[in-house]
Amino acid sequence: MRDEILGKVRESLGRRSGTVPPSIPPTARVPPRKAGDAETEVAQLLTEIGKLSGVTRRLANRDELRVAVAELINVENVKKATLWTTPDLVGWDVAGMLRSLGVEIIPPQADKRLVAACELGVTGVDAALPETGTLLLRSSPERPRIVSLVPRVHLAILTPAALRPDLHEAFADTKEAGYSVLVTGPSRTADIELTLTLGVHGPKSLYAWVLDES
Amino acid sequence: MAIRAQLFVTCLAEQFFPNVLKGMVALLERLGVEAVFPEAQTCCGQPFFNSGYRTQARELALKWLDVFGKTDGFIVSPSGSCVDMVRHHFPELFRPGSADHKRAVEIGARTVEFTQFLVNQLKVTDVGARFPGKVTYHASCHLLRGLGAREEPKALLRGVDGVELIPLPGEDTCCGFGGVFSVIYPEVSQSMMKAKVQAIDSTGADVVVACDAGCIMNIAGGLRKAGSPVRAMHLIEVLTAGRGAS
Amino acid sequence: MSHQPTSIDFRANVQQVPSTMPPAVQKATTKFLGNRAALVDALGNDFWQQLRQAGHEVRLHAITHLDYYLEQAERQVIQAGGHVHWARDAEEAQRVVIDIARTHRAKLAVKSKSMATEEIGLNHAMEAAGIRVLETDLGEYIVQLKGMGPAHIVVPAFHLSKEEIADLFREKLGIEAPAEAEKLTQIARMKLREEFLAADLGISGGNFLVAETGTIVTVTNEGNGRMCCTVPPVHVAVVGIDKVVPDWESLTVLLKLLARSATGQKLSCYTQFISGPPRTDAETGPKEFHLILLDNGRTRILQSPETRETLLCIRCGACLNICPVYNHVGGYAYGYPISGPTGVMFASQILGSKAAGALPFASTLCGACNDICPVKIPITEILLHLRRRVVEGDDLEGAAAPYSLRVGAQIGAVALGTPWLYRVGSRMLKRLQVPFVQEGWMANLPGPLSRWTMARPFPAFAADFRRWWRRRSDRT
Repeated sequence: MRDEILGKVRESLGRRSGTVPPSIPPTARVPPRKAGDAETEVAQLLTEIGKLSGVTRRLANRDELRVAVAELINVENVKKATLWTTPDLVGWDVAGMLRSLGVEIIPPQADKRLVAACELGVTGVDAALPETGTLLLRSSPERPRIVSLVPRVHLAILTPAALRPDLHEAFADTKEAGYSVLVTGPSRTADIELTLTLGVHGPKSLYAWVLDES
Repeated sequence: MAIRAQLFVTCLAEQFFPNVLKGMVALLERLGVEAVFPEAQTCCGQPFFNSGYRTQARELALKWLDVFGKTDGFIVSPSGSCVDMVRHHFPELFRPGSADHKRAVEIGARTVEFTQFLVNQLKVTDVGARFPGKVTYHASCHLLRGLGAREEPKALLRGVDGVELIPLPGEDTCCGFGGVFSVIYPEVSQSMMKAKVQAIDSTGADVVVACDAGCIMNIAGGLRKAGSPVRAMHLIEVLTAGRGAS
Repeated sequence: MSHQPTSIDFRANVQQVPSTMPPAVQKATTKFLGNRAALVDALGNDFWQQLRQAGHEVRLHAITHLDYYLEQAERQVIQAGGHVHWARDAEEAQRVVIDIARTHRAKLAVKSKSMATEEIGLNHAMEAAGIRVLETDLGEYIVQLKGMGPAHIVVPAFHLSKEEIADLFREKLGIEAPAEAEKLTQIARMKLREEFLAADLGISGGNFLVAETGTIVTVTNEGNGRMCCTVPPVHVAVVGIDKVVPDWESLTVLLKLLARSATGQKLSCYTQFISGPPRTDAETGPKEFHLILLDNGRTRILQSPETRETLLCIRCGACLNICPVYNHVGGYAYGYPISGPTGVMFASQILGSKAAGALPFASTLCGACNDICPVKIPITEILLHLRRRVVEGDDLEGAAAPYSLRVGAQIGAVALGTPWLYRVGSRMLKRLQVPFVQEGWMANLPGPLSRWTMARPFPAFAADFRRWWRRRSDRT
C-alpha cells in the first residue's frame, strides 16, 4: 500500500526516490511581525483576549494574585480544581492558595471523570501572541493537556516574559515539544443560525492574567 | 498621425447589438482614430473553449488569427470576455514554441477591450458625451477579473455630462449568464439573474450599464421579464447617445 | 452522503433545493466574507497578497515534492512513537480504522470534523461493523442526528433553524429542548461530554501534516477536536496525503491565511499540534496514536499537471462563500461532502468524469474564487481543463460526454467559422424569427432554446452592421 502510493506519487511527478527537494524559495516566506515595546505588547495581548470574551487582569505581585484567585473562586463557584505543576505555578503556590479557600485539588492524572468534575483548570503559558490574543500551551509531565481542556473555567497565568512577537518565534521554542495548542479565546461555535455561543466542548470561560512579578 | 483600430466586433454584438458597433465606429472616428473592419471575421470560439471543445476552439482561433494576422496595430473590441479569450486562452490552444503559439501571443498583445483602449491608449476619459440620468454600472466578470478593467469603464461614465452614477450593490457579482451555463443550468442562471435585477432595482437608477453583450442580453431580458422600466445599455450607447452614428 | 456517489445530476439536485436554502446560505457567506474583508483590510492588501503568494508557493513546493515529505513525516511520526498506515482507497482506510477499533474492542468512537472521513464514508463502514460513531462538532452532530451530510465545510448545519434543531433534539435525544442557540449548545455540550469520557476511540482528520516533525495540525473552535485527540485512550487521524506541509515556517504562512479566509478570525480558537502519542503518562492524553495517510484518488489528481494544483487547497471554504452558484444552491446540490468550487475540482477528479462530469459545468467561470483563494489556485483554469476532459477526453480519461455532442460542436464550429455560412445563417435567422418576435424580443422559444426563455426573453437577431459598414465605405 505504502510503496504503491509513493510509487504513483513519484511517477506523476517524475521524481526518483530519495531525491532531496531544492530549498524552499524566499517568496514562500513572510517576515514576522515586529514587536512594539513591552508595555504596548502586553496591552495589545490583553485587548485582543478581551475582544474574544476572555477575561484579563494585570497583577503586580503575589498578594494581588491571591486576591484575584479568591474573587475568581467566588464568581465561578469553584469547588474543585486541577493544575499544571510548572515551576512558576509551584513557586507562586497557586495550589496552596486554592486549598486555603476550600477548593479541592484533583491531580490531572486522576480518573478523567474526576478531572472532568473540576470547575477550574489552572495553567501557565509557554508563549503569548499579542497580535491575535493567543496563548500557546505545550504538553509535558508538568503541563498535562487535560487541565486546559476539560474544566469549565481555564485560568492561564503568565508573565510578560512569555510574550513573543509572532508565531515564528513561538514555534521555534515549541515545535519539538510533541504536543502544543494555540488557545485563542474561550471555546465557541456559530453552528446554530450563525449565532455565536461560547463554551461548546472546551472551556466556557478563559481568564488570562499577566503577573508582573517574576 | 492617426491611430488605426481594427474592429473585432464579436458574434454576439454583431447579431444582437449592431447599434453598439455603429456607435463604437462613430466614437472612435470622433476621437481621431481610423476604424477598419476586417470583414472575414466571425467568432473567436469562446463558447467552444468554455464548453471544453478545444479542438473546435483551436480551429476558430486559427481562423481568427489568420484574419487579424493580416492587420497591424490595435485590435479593438466592445467585449471583455472575447478579448480575454484571445489574450489569455488562445495561447493555451497551441504548443508553446510553435509558430501558432507565437502568433497568438503577438496578436493577443495588441488586442484591447474598448474602454481600456480609450482610457489607457488614447488617454481619454471625457469623450464629450451627454446623458442626463441615474446610471448604475455592472462589472462584467471577464472584463473585471480577466482583463483587470475595474476603473476604465467607470472613469468613462464619470466623464459623461449629466450622469449621476449610483453604486450597484454586488457590482462585482456575476449576473448568471456564463455563456453555455445559462442553458445548461437554467434554474441557477435564472436565480442569479433575478438577484442582479433586484440589486439594480434597489438603486433607483434609470439605466444599468455594462460592457459585455452576454451580460446585457441576460440583464435586459431579466429586466423586461420583471416588468422593470430600467434600461440595460452598453457603455458605448451612453457615450454616443443623442449623437447617433454617421 | 457518506458513500461515494455513482452519478451526480447537478441540475436535478438544484431542482430539489428548497427556497429556504439560498437566503440561509447567503446569510452565512455574507457574514464570513465581511469578517474576512475586515481582517484583510487590517493587514493591508499588499501584505495579504504577499501572504497568498507565499501560501501558494509552500503548498506547490510540498505537492511537487510530495514523496519526500510524506516519507519524512512518516519517519518522524514513527520516531515519536506513533503508527503510520497507508490507505490507497476508501475501503482500505475503513479497514485500518476498524481493525484498530477491533484490536481495542472499541464500541464507541468520537469524531471531530474531517472532510477526509466523510469522503471515505467512514461512519457508515464503522456502524456496519458494530461500532458506534459520534460526530462531535456541533454542526456535524446536528446533521448526523438528521441523517444528512454537511451543507458547508465550515458550518455544516447553517441551513437549519433553531426551531428545527430543537425539534431534532427532542425527537432524537428525548430532551425538552428550547429553541435558543445558547441552550441547544449547552445540551449538546452535556450530552457529548458523557460520550467523550466514555469513548474508546477518538478519530480526527488533520488540516495539515508538518513533515519536519511529523506533526498533524487541527484547526477548530469548539474544543471537540482537542477532546477527541486527548480524552479517549486511542487516537486515529485520517489525513489526505495532500495535506503535507514541509516545515513550521511554511505552516506559519498557512495559519495566517486559513482562519482569516474561512471565517474571518485571526486564528481559530484551538490550533492543535500533535506529533505522535504523549511521551509520558503524566501529560495525560491517548496511549496510542495512529496516522492513516489517505490516497483515494489524490495520486490520480497529481498525474495531471494542468489540474494538479487542486491539491493546494487548504479547505478554508472561502471559494464557497464567494461563489455565486454556491450562494444560490447550497452544498447539497453538489452531491459530495465538499461543495462549491473546490468541491467541484475534487469530486470531478476523485469520482471521475462519468460520475461527476456535470460538476465542472456548474460554474459561470466568473473567477471570484480565483481572487479569494488564499493559496492562489487557478480554479477556473482547472475547471476549463476538467470540462475538456469531460467532452473530449484527455491523457487521463476518455470523453464521458456522448459523441453526438462533439459532432454537434463540429457542426457549430463550421457554421460559425465559415464566413459565408455565418453571414447567410445570420440573415436566415432574422427571417425565421419573425413570427416569434414582439417588440424586439422572443418570449417563448421551442426545444432546447426554451432553457433560455424559461427565465427571460431572447433578443431578436438584428445583424446589419456589415451592410451599414459597406454603405459607409461605398460613400467615402
